Amino acid sequence: MKKIIIYIICGATTLLTSCDASLLDIQNENTLSTGVFWKTESDIEAGLVATYAMFYRQGTWTRNIYTQMNGMADDGVSYAGWTELNEYTKFIFTDYNFSECNTKIWREHYTAIFRANQVLDNIGNVTFTNESHKNDLIGQAEFLRAFYYFYMTVLWDNVPLVLKTSSAADKPVQATADEVLTQIEADLEDAFTKLPSTRDSENTGRPTKGAAYGLLAKAYMQHHKWEEARKCLEWIVDGEGKNYYDLVSNYGDNFSNKTENNKEALYEIHFSLAHRVGFDQTDNYLDPNAQLGTQIEMNQAPTGIGWNNIEARRWLVDYFKRERTTDGKYDERLFYTLWYDGAATDFPEHPNQLIYGAPWNSDWGNRVFIKKYSTDALPLYYWNDNNFRSLRYADMLLLYAEALNELNTAPPAKAIECLNRVRNRVKLPNIQNSTYYNGTQITTNKDAFREHLKIERALELAMECVRWIDLKRWNIDDEATLNELKTRDSDFNNFIISKSIRMPIPQSEVDNNPNLNQNNQY
Amino acid sequence: MKPIQMYKERQAVNKKLHWLIISICLLMCSFDLYAQINVTGTVKDNNGETLPGVSILTKEDGRTHGTTTDINGKYELKVNQGAILEFSFIGYATQKVKVGNANVINITLEPENKMLDEVVVIGYGSVKKKDLLGSISTVKEDALAERVSGNVVEAMRGLTSGVKITSSGQPGSGATINIRGLGSLTNNNPLFIIDGSYAGSELGVNVEDIESIQILKDASSAAIYGSRAANGVVIITTKQGKEGALKVKFDSQITLSWLPRYDLMDAETYKIYDNRAYDEAILAGVSGVTKRQNHYDGNTDWQEEMLGTGVLQNYNVSLSGGSKTVKYYASLNRMADDGALLNTSYDKYGFRINTSGQKGLFSYGENLYYTKSDRKDLNGNPWSNFISMPPTIPVYDESHSGGFGYGDVDRANSYGLNPVAMQELYKSNNEEEYLIGNIFGQISLFNMLEAKLNFAYKSYMGVTNSLRKKGNWTMGQGDDAAHLGYSSAQYHDILIEQTYNFKHKFGKHDVNALFGISYNKFHQEYRWITKLDPLTIGDKYITSLDAATGNTTAGGNYSKSALISYLGRINYAYNDKYLVQLTARRDGTSRLPKDNRWGDFFSASLGWRISNEEFFNIPWINDLKIRANYGTLGNSSIGYWDYQSTINTAPRAVLGNSDNVLIGMTQSQLSNNDLVWEKKTTTNIGFDMAVLDSRLRLSAEYYYAKSKDLLVYLPILMSSGNEGGSPAVNAGSLENRGFEVELGWNDQIGKDFAYSASVNLSHVKNKVLNLGYGQDVYYTSLAKTEIGKALGAWYLYKTEGIFQSEEEVQSHVNSKGKVIQPNALPGDIKYNDYNDDGIISSEDRQICGSPWPKLELGVNLGASYKGFDLSINGYGRFGQKIWNGAAATAGDFANNQNNFNGIVPWTQEHPVNDRPRIVYGDSRNSRSDQDRWLENGSFFRLSDITLGYTVPTHYIKRIGLEKLHASVTLQNLITFTGYSGLDPEFADSGIFQMGADNCSFPNPRAVQFALSFTF
Repeated sequence: MKKIIIYIICGATTLLTSCDASLLDIQNENTLSTGVFWKTESDIEAGLVATYAMFYRQGTWTRNIYTQMNGMADDGVSYAGWTELNEYTKFIFTDYNFSECNTKIWREHYTAIFRANQVLDNIGNVTFTNESHKNDLIGQAEFLRAFYYFYMTVLWDNVPLVLKTSSAADKPVQATADEVLTQIEADLEDAFTKLPSTRDSENTGRPTKGAAYGLLAKAYMQHHKWEEARKCLEWIVDGEGKNYYDLVSNYGDNFSNKTENNKEALYEIHFSLAHRVGFDQTDNYLDPNAQLGTQIEMNQAPTGIGWNNIEARRWLVDYFKRERTTDGKYDERLFYTLWYDGAATDFPEHPNQLIYGAPWNSDWGNRVFIKKYSTDALPLYYWNDNNFRSLRYADMLLLYAEALNELNTAPPAKAIECLNRVRNRVKLPNIQNSTYYNGTQITTNKDAFREHLKIERALELAMECVRWIDLKRWNIDDEATLNELKTRDSDFNNFIISKSIRMPIPQSEVDNNPNLNQNNQY
Repeated sequence: MKPIQMYKERQAVNKKLHWLIISICLLMCSFDLYAQINVTGTVKDNNGETLPGVSILTKEDGRTHGTTTDINGKYELKVNQGAILEFSFIGYATQKVKVGNANVINITLEPENKMLDEVVVIGYGSVKKKDLLGSISTVKEDALAERVSGNVVEAMRGLTSGVKITSSGQPGSGATINIRGLGSLTNNNPLFIIDGSYAGSELGVNVEDIESIQILKDASSAAIYGSRAANGVVIITTKQGKEGALKVKFDSQITLSWLPRYDLMDAETYKIYDNRAYDEAILAGVSGVTKRQNHYDGNTDWQEEMLGTGVLQNYNVSLSGGSKTVKYYASLNRMADDGALLNTSYDKYGFRINTSGQKGLFSYGENLYYTKSDRKDLNGNPWSNFISMPPTIPVYDESHSGGFGYGDVDRANSYGLNPVAMQELYKSNNEEEYLIGNIFGQISLFNMLEAKLNFAYKSYMGVTNSLRKKGNWTMGQGDDAAHLGYSSAQYHDILIEQTYNFKHKFGKHDVNALFGISYNKFHQEYRWITKLDPLTIGDKYITSLDAATGNTTAGGNYSKSALISYLGRINYAYNDKYLVQLTARRDGTSRLPKDNRWGDFFSASLGWRISNEEFFNIPWINDLKIRANYGTLGNSSIGYWDYQSTINTAPRAVLGNSDNVLIGMTQSQLSNNDLVWEKKTTTNIGFDMAVLDSRLRLSAEYYYAKSKDLLVYLPILMSSGNEGGSPAVNAGSLENRGFEVELGWNDQIGKDFAYSASVNLSHVKNKVLNLGYGQDVYYTSLAKTEIGKALGAWYLYKTEGIFQSEEEVQSHVNSKGKVIQPNALPGDIKYNDYNDDGIISSEDRQICGSPWPKLELGVNLGASYKGFDLSINGYGRFGQKIWNGAAATAGDFANNQNNFNGIVPWTQEHPVNDRPRIVYGDSRNSRSDQDRWLENGSFFRLSDITLGYTVPTHYIKRIGLEKLHASVTLQNLITFTGYSGLDPEFADSGIFQMGADNCSFPNPRAVQFALSFTF
């Protein structure tokens, strides 16, 4: 019997040895693994495209940035039926994990930064046939990283600086707004040296030297580094940039999908309706067919037509109407910026203004809706292809004026000239000849000039996501300014000094990162 | 059939034959040496049926002789007066009768109390229950028979200790099962073994086909399944044919079910409250609110629109029988569940063929199960929509695309989703097919060695067809193109297993050794297609893909994995008193990186049957055994390639002109490349006792389990830029300790009345010993998990009632006299300033209770009198806190949602202290992370009450029936709880936030009528 047992055991052993451990080596070929990627020029190029792809997100430039940036500023207000979203624009932050206007923006900005970091970390290991192409790609990645950090610090001030490809265990350290701006400046200074001055028509949407300096100027301005800002703006207005940039004659061309990539745009975020589907990459990040359009129209279209998440404050209309053009008409910027009751009489040359095919609804009463970036879509479609003019030459002219004014004891001629260029384009007289403003005082007094720039910028750049940046730069964190803001926008009644100037950081992020503190008083 | 069972039965048959031959010989050779009498009689069972084949033996002068009863249960035997006759028959208690003067001795044999000889399946074998060293619960077919459920797991509810089962409440969707709390943080599903093949779930096995379910709860029992068993093992054994003539069994059940409903306001009441909320908002100056809503004039009861009576029909026919060499069991099952929710249903067919046979040394068996089901899916969660949809909105509205009513800025400013529209505009149909089978061959040598080759195969094919019609179900919804969707998933799972089992008894030594190797391979393919713009004929959409004219998009991927295992086990018993079991298993998995692929798992168990000791002399204790074990189990049930970072090729961007779409590639999801096996070590001590003629049984045990290197998809920081789900990580360790007690009583009073009662109690407490990425604490939006504490304690803002006056607002100050909520108005909530800094901020959240029950209880009562039988099952959980998401969703009218009847919000005239004033457009009072939504979740539920009747045999014999049983069952009709939500028992949403009732699906209430007969 023992023999038989031995035979069986031997037999068994023979069978068992047939189970080879290599049966466990199973490859995943559903996609590439990171180990085989980042080896060629085209890999780096694709990595960069993936960074551009972050523009088409709900938390970036498809939707929520507009609500939050315009909503917090004094030119915008939200009467959205979604109470939390509405409250978030009114400095009533109840749930710090509120996805739509807080965690989504935070998360998707960091996703964009992660993608830019991958390009920057891997490009050094790839041999390029053309060194300037390599530099161009580095410059683009730096620009995009700086771009996202800029909006992060505008919203939250104190955010962690992540500058290397992330790993799961990272607990990045919080940086101050000052440190974040310094990093943005470093990225953009370098990007400026690497980027080309112009792009062919196949490559618009990629930043140029002008875009880098435009954004850098904004960063320096925010940092109150007037001299550095002046240097960039000078390049744009009076230096090499003079060859590429100017105001377009028709103010409205800045917001139309028919006049994109014109000479007034230093940087445009490109949108397209090439993918006509009902979802975007936020909801379906693994679907290559996701939307490439923007929902800016849907987001701001009036009650009953769009979501109406954001609209304008009435004071804009009043301010526009204080001054007449040289031919005695109302400022055409009002016409291109807003929809309001009475527009038809104010602009008799446009008697039949329709809002996505609808006439003014008397239920809307005194309300003012945003017309900028509206298209002639009829009916209003969920997405549109209108490029967002992120850096506009008019903005640069006014910033240049502001920087020069700050650097001098009184506004220099150049500053006044820049201001007047912006005004003249819409047929407003030189500020010296204004029928409403005290031109003499404005052109001679530094403070008066600054105060006027605050108004001129509000009107020129209304509802373009710059007002909140401006308010922060001018420091609204004091009682006097706050009281003035309250007269224009009652949302500021909820504003608490040294608290509301920045948003609450998403609570889950603060809770789970020991190196990150919640912003003051939240 | 399990080999050991077969072996035993064969032995029994051999024994019988053996005795028959001997007795015949003896009879033939017997001489009339003594004064003998001729005894005759009939042997019957307790039901009065005659018993053929009963052996009757007697010992005379050292010689044994005897006879057996004939086909009519009659016997005849010549014995000396005063001899003792021993009547024995398998399954019945042996009776001894002294032969007196009577020539006729009729005997009624009582069924044996089989408890102690019960066989328990332990994986690759079985042991007698009395020799069991591990912690195993058994559920028998009788207990399952009358459960109102087509789902095996649901049917097991409350029947055993330490097992928590939660059903999802949707037709055709499975229930979750947790054995002894949470052992793992990724996957807490136990391993299912169905007739020897591995399965991830119960795979739609037909409840009627089940003979027994064994639940292996501790490391020593489950150790033979090593790497896959960290969450316990559920072994399902299906019915096998029994020797004898063809038996046909027919079962049918009809179940009427309905779902509990919220007590929501109707349109009239809603308008009163909503107007008040607007008035309050206008008064408080909420910006943009200038007038009340111009309400729609509908009066919709959304629950009435969506909920009806579910009708579930279940029919089952089985055929079984066999000879000594071949046995068979075949069944056909049909289930049709017309769901209680609008447009939902589940339809299933299944058939099974189990055969087994033996010839000489060789035996074989085969189990084959095929099932096909068809489910109409539910789109979204209607339970939250019932609350968020204002009742003023009409169901239908011709002015909207698609024709359904929903919010409107002016008339009902609500983003609620119309549940009827969701169900009508999006249709999804899921068809699934399973083929599960195994075949084995076995050679037995010398009654001590068995070599077995088992081949198991599982195949699955699932197809989902969907149709999105044009139209909207909520305000501001995008203008989606109509489209058709098709997706299919299919997999094959192959298992090849060889086992060698040596079994022998040498004197007092009883050895049973097992050795085996197994190879398991899995391959899945997934594909999907979406095609836009299906053609329509009138209102009807054509659903053939060819009939759609728009763009087509498609995708697909595959998944593969393999597992190689070596396993061994030795059971040794000395003199039926000292028991030892040692188990070892070595597993290699393809799901871990090459260097960390192999894991070793050992366990050891000891048992001591005190009742068999000489010194043990307590007559009323029939059996007493103490046992202890220690062992390690593993888990690697993570994704197929979680250790690998991959490139996402989906990003696209437009540069240049708007048709210039460029392809982007990048890493989106982070990964940890150093993953290792998760291991769980359990220590278990317990005892089993049978007392008072084995009528009372008691098992109790205590266990301590520690999991290490837990594999978990621990959420990581958003600042990492990670997308597409948190990466798997070996994150820290977790401890579970608890006790379980099972107490059972069985008795019979007189001939007709029998009753039984059993209670099981369990308590489990978990503690986090370590968290991933070096964290000390991990937060979700409602809960906090901290090292040294239980998982997911509620972490919320504490409320202190309602401000009744402006003075009260001003006097709510911190220790330095700072007014904490200066902007509050009378009627607002007073929050606790936990950190005393004078403002309410995120620092003021605090621990507010535990989501974990302190005690779980199951009660099963049974009684039978003549033909009637009654069983009552109930279970409960006590001491846990539930976050009532429905109440939080209803909130306080901040968003125009509906609310519950009977709420009394604060008003100047009626200043209550538990519910704030209602204000439209102000979310501060209704924030979800406040303790006002936390409730005591204790409950006890009478889950099943069944009354049945078995028609006496003599009535039905005439029409050829053997057994006829009818019953009625009431399910979930009575629940004792203080919880104000729909159901205190619901499917949890994630381990770090257990006990959050996010408008979960409630369990249905049901009445079932069942009829079963055998012929």
